[in-house]
Amino acid sequence: MGRAITFRSVAEMPPLAISLDDISHNKTGSWRYLRPVYRNKIPPCRAGCPAGNDIPRWLALVAEGRLTEAWKTIRENNPFPGITGRVCAHPCEAYCNRKEFDEPIAIAALERHVADEAFALHDEPPSGERRREKIAIVGSGPAGLSCAYFLAKQNYPVTIYEAESQPGGMLRLGIPSYRLPRDVIDKEIDDIVRLGVEIKTGYRVGRDIDLERLWASYDALFIATGAYRSRPLGIPGEELPGVLAGLDVLKAINTGRKISLGERVLVIGGGNTAMDAARTALRLGARVTVIYRRTRAEMPAIPEEIAQAEAEGVEFLFLAAPQKIERVHGRLRVHLIRMQLGEPDKSGRRRPVPLPNSEFVLEADALLKAIGEDPDLDFLAEELETSEGIVIHNERGRLSRAGIFLGGDARTGPSTVVEAIADGKAASKAIQRYLRSPSRTASALLPERFAPEKIKLNTSYFAHQARVPVLELPPEERQHGFAEVKAPLWLEDAIVEAQRCFSCGVCNACDNCRVFCPDVAISRVNGLYHVNLEYCKGCGICAAECPRGCIDLIEEGR
Amino acid sequence: MNRANFVLPEIELMSSGHLGCQGCGGALAMRYVLKALGEKTVIVLPACCWTIIAGPFPYSTLKVPVLHTAFETAAVAASGVRAALDIQGDTETTVVAWAGDGGTVDIGLQSLSGAAERNENILYICYDNEAYMNTGIQRSGATPRFAWTTTTPEKNPKAERKKDIVAIMAAHRIPYTATATIAYPDDLIRKVQKAKSLQGMKFLHILAPCPPGWRIASEDAIKIARLAVQARVFPLYEIEDGERYTLNAPHEREIIPAEEYFKLQGRFAHLGPQEREQMQQEIERNWARLQRLVQMKAPSDDGA
Amino acid sequence: MAIRTQSLHPHPSPLPTREREQSYSKVITGNHAVSYGALLARVQVISAYPITPQTQVVELLSEFCANGTLHAKFIKVESEHSAMAALIGAASAGARAFTATSAHGLALMHEMLHWAAGARLPIVMANINRAMGPPWSVWTDQNDSLSQRDTGWMQIYCESNQEVLDTVLQAYRVAERVSLPAMLVLDAFVLSHTAEAVEIPSQSLVDQYLPPYRAGYKLDVSDPHAFGGLAPPDVYMELRYQIQKAHEAALGEFARADEEFERLFGRRYGLIESYYADDAELIVVTSGTVTSTARDVIDELRAEGHRVGLLKIRLFRPFPIELVRQALMPAKKIAVIDRNIGFGVGGIFAQEIKSALYNAPVRPALFGFVAGLGGRDITPEVLREIVDYAETHQEPEDLIWVGVKT
Ligand SMILES: Cc1cc2nc3c(=O)[nH]c(=O)nc-3n(C[C@H](O)[C@H](O)[C@H](O)COP(=O)(O)OP(=O)(O)OC[C@H]3O[C@@H](n4cnc5c(N)ncnc54)[C@H](O)[C@@H]3O)c2cc1C
Ligand SMILES: Cc1ncc(C[n+]2csc(CCOP(=O)(O)OP(=O)(O)O)c2C)c(N)n1
Ligand code: SF4
Ligand code: SF4
Ligand code: SF4
Ligand SMILES: [Mg+2]
Repeated sequence: MGRAITFRSVAEMPPLAISLDDISHNKTGSWRYLRPVYRNKIPPCRAGCPAGNDIPRWLALVAEGRLTEAWKTIRENNPFPGITGRVCAHPCEAYCNRKEFDEPIAIAALERHVADEAFALHDEPPSGERRREKIAIVGSGPAGLSCAYFLAKQNYPVTIYEAESQPGGMLRLGIPSYRLPRDVIDKEIDDIVRLGVEIKTGYRVGRDIDLERLWASYDALFIATGAYRSRPLGIPGEELPGVLAGLDVLKAINTGRKISLGERVLVIGGGNTAMDAARTALRLGARVTVIYRRTRAEMPAIPEEIAQAEAEGVEFLFLAAPQKIERVHGRLRVHLIRMQLGEPDKSGRRRPVPLPNSEFVLEADALLKAIGEDPDLDFLAEELETSEGIVIHNERGRLSRAGIFLGGDARTGPSTVVEAIADGKAASKAIQRYLRSPSRTASALLPERFAPEKIKLNTSYFAHQARVPVLELPPEERQHGFAEVKAPLWLEDAIVEAQRCFSCGVCNACDNCRVFCPDVAISRVNGLYHVNLEYCKGCGICAAECPRGCIDLIEEGR
Repeated sequence: MNRANFVLPEIELMSSGHLGCQGCGGALAMRYVLKALGEKTVIVLPACCWTIIAGPFPYSTLKVPVLHTAFETAAVAASGVRAALDIQGDTETTVVAWAGDGGTVDIGLQSLSGAAERNENILYICYDNEAYMNTGIQRSGATPRFAWTTTTPEKNPKAERKKDIVAIMAAHRIPYTATATIAYPDDLIRKVQKAKSLQGMKFLHILAPCPPGWRIASEDAIKIARLAVQARVFPLYEIEDGERYTLNAPHEREIIPAEEYFKLQGRFAHLGPQEREQMQQEIERNWARLQRLVQMKAPSDDGA
Repeated sequence: MAIRTQSLHPHPSPLPTREREQSYSKVITGNHAVSYGALLARVQVISAYPITPQTQVVELLSEFCANGTLHAKFIKVESEHSAMAALIGAASAGARAFTATSAHGLALMHEMLHWAAGARLPIVMANINRAMGPPWSVWTDQNDSLSQRDTGWMQIYCESNQEVLDTVLQAYRVAERVSLPAMLVLDAFVLSHTAEAVEIPSQSLVDQYLPPYRAGYKLDVSDPHAFGGLAPPDVYMELRYQIQKAHEAALGEFARADEEFERLFGRRYGLIESYYADDAELIVVTSGTVTSTARDVIDELRAEGHRVGLLKIRLFRPFPIELVRQALMPAKKIAVIDRNIGFGVGGIFAQEIKSALYNAPVRPALFGFVAGLGGRDITPEVLREIVDYAETHQEPEDLIWVGVKT
């Protein structure tokens, strides 16, 4: 087959014009000036995920009902799908290409679904020999745990030193159980312990053990102590009884202590701590008003949480700030002033400025401060340059001494769980690089972010379909307890939802390219596609009809 | 689970190395048709682009028997092949007459009509690239109104509407008439397989974009075919016994203005707003007519 | 013997035992002789379109097919062009294929005649010679068939109804051996509609003479090939060369077919036939039914002492050049009777004979007569007139119109 035939004499010829072979000797690849090249791309969802979650890949598995494999795939980049599936702000969804088409994929809900379904599953401990180099991690929040997870998977012996009596950091102390049930935290931490990670609770570094001792006993250190110091309001009356740090209230409740706040509670702030403090106070029976100096649009809290708080009955007072607190007849009298938005500040948000002569007063039984937290890095004083009391650390998370790395909220200030996970993962890599060549000073921690790539979708192959709704407990039922607010998905819904994913830039073997090639030049072997350049004429149809932009056309001879 | 958008028979009876242009819709159409029919197929090929695509002596693009024949004889030469196979006891092999639009709606219409009237047990497929492409883009009866061709230059584009060959075939009351395009290969293959399962004359009209002839980018060949359906320029439907009309699934998706279809094609570049509007109205009239036909109830006592 | 050949055919002959095993005589027209020839040849696919004077050929074949006498598919097409196209399809798929036509029908087929020959398909067709219009004429002359001279078809001109039937059989035998189509030609009305006693040979004997058709190449799904694809200049000529070679081979095949025919059926016709030509000073050259009239006239003239003879051209394509030379060289003069006119030159047979003789060592003087166009009778008187003219003139003449009212 595929011979070129030449007749040297009429005797070699058939008596009539009859074919003697197929046309495949004719190598039409020489006609081509554009060459199709398969190249998977980073989809925007993945680029939007600080942990670099390989979303389309595990969504494809969910779509096929292969949940165990989906769970394993998520955990290649994120050890906490049960946690992030519940509390992550899911920036991935904000970038999801599907939102231009109809609605973004419910990535977070699916992630939670996968984790829930995998509740009984655990990682196999890594095979092979344990490495000699030992690593100590300070702090067992998501940053520290994530770093431990990735190192343990590479067979490093890891020990975590945690000041509190239980591991988990803000996951356990900050985030209330109505959003993140404790058994989920326990399960996902347990998964890490099963990998051989040792967690020593009740060790506050700087108090129970000092840094120098750790440094002497370990080959590398990762500091992930979070941001716990509640910022002061800086107004008179702040020290009065009844004026509390929101975070302390959450900590108390989350560690099972009983606390009474009275009937009327004001919360100052607009972030996650403020929301959770308000919703917790509400659950303790108070009428709650959140006071925020900007507008709703500027609130740093996760929008979903604001909506949930509102649904539960939390009141909001925007463009107002406290100026003074007094205690009168056992109650608090809070003096406030109206604000207006002025010029944008460094963060790009418009700076609130007081509106003259707009003072007013509110009375309350308790006032919860929740305007932010700062890291407490006193125990690191040696390693840090300070300037005017503000901690300055190496931008890239490595401290002045090679081999000690800083990450999570401790590096960035209050941030998010997924950023902490990303930092932990980046730290694990930086540590491994450092251990391989300790002299290299350039070992950086900065999480590698995937740059989103231009992906030309062909949406003709996608049908419009509504996003699966995530059900919530009715607000009346939420007000009086700490039961989980968000309901899980049904398996059927999860599959249907996962099938909505376009798999942007990631070949999912839809076969379009092979189906539409007019030159039969595309083949598929074990799910991988191959262009036969001997025949491909470079028409470009395969690239145009790939629904997810996995094929580039490049100029020949370049 | 299979994530394939289209699950087509794996069999490949068209060889790489063929002489179709980049992005040739006609080549792709043949590939699908042979996937649907399999090895027990004879292709009868009158003069058309496929004469060239099929390969020069002593080669063949197709791995089934091919009979080249004169321009106007596809249907009748196929009738002859059919008769010869039947008399030799082979009633299983599908005999396909595969002709261009010119070979179908113009020069070959007489022999096509004859074969249809005799209800020959053949499958006649017209791959419609809307002009005489083999000879260098001259107008045919299937060229759409206002389109540029080398014999209908921009200054004097085709004034007449496209000949409605499907209506002509339906009027012969043959068992099966259908339209298809390369953009919906599953639909196309289903129709070919249905045709194969029926006795008597079957007619399939496949819209097959021609990148050089339509002045489109080769990678847009599928897109154009899809837009033709979405804009209802080329509706997908089936007709049984010339009277039971069925519209096909792709029309359940959204309808787009014909302008989306025209604007990608150089052969319509010279159209002014008035002509474009006229075309849109014509499309809507045709669509309304098709809707009426779909709703038409076939008289049950007919056929006596 | 008969039983063995019988079994070669996939379908047992549906004929009654008597007709299967014994020849018998029947008074039939030339058209029906064609039909009987096709019946005995056991054609498998027939496709035809009616035209006077051919209609009875297809009427009887339709009857044969309808009553089961003939196991064949009859495709009743909408034109002669389609008839030939259908047969090209059928023969390409390995069937023995047959049609009949005349004049305008044949002209309409023209494109497909080239196709059949180029595709090397052994299709056999009867053409009833009829004058071309306008003006309309239904009567005989040879311009229709001779206009197809260069299509690559073999052409055999018949003189009697018996010869017509026999020629159908011979034509298939030769055609299938050399892979060329063959056209047998008979005069409108003079043969087509005139009844004569014809011996209808037994099917079993015909089966011995003409085994079932086995195509060397055919459309076959188990061995797929493309037929007739584009041939570039570097191969086209060789394919044409082979057609010419096949025509040359056909001369020998015809001779053998004729001999074998005689062995089985006791009749032979030759590629050409000489009558009193050996010692003739003047040889009259004829084709078709004129030959029969001419034979009588030659008998009379011989009795009167004229040294005239006759040469009948039966096989026109391939043209038996050597035989024609040998037959004509001994004569001093030749009178060619053309029932046709090659406009701008003269009679077509005359041209053929002139060119055959051009390279011959001896070239008798040639008189080219055009007579009997559009069915005008060529009577014994007309023939005597022709002989007289040739005998009394010494200088050869290319074109002499006979009987034109001036
Ligand atoms: C109330 C609240 C709600 C939140 N809600 C969300 C949310 O919905 N979604 C989201 O993405 N993010 C949320 N966050 C933010 C998120 O919890 C943090 O960004 C994240 O936990 C930071 O992780 P980390 O590991 O850096 O620090 P942490 O989680 O703070 O963990 C630090 C750990 O270090 C320990 N530690 C501190 N100092 C020492 C020491 N000297 N020695 C030993 N151990 C020490 C601490 O006890 C703690 O366990 C919320 C935060 C709060 C406070
Ligand atoms: C009798 C005859 N007239 C003209 C031609 C020249 N000819 C060959 S293909 C062709 C056009 C074919 O057009 P169409 O059937 O639409 O097929 P396409 O080439 O567009 O695929 C023409 C005019 C011919 N081969 N035979
Ligand atoms: S559609 Fe899927 S792959 Fe594309 S951005 Fe959304 S989740 Fe990611
Ligand atoms: S569709 Fe086929 S011929 Fe066209 S560019 Fe892709 S591989 Fe090449
Ligand atoms: S068309 Fe489908 S199979 Fe081909 S590269 Fe794109 S996603 Fe993969
Ligand atoms: Mg065309």
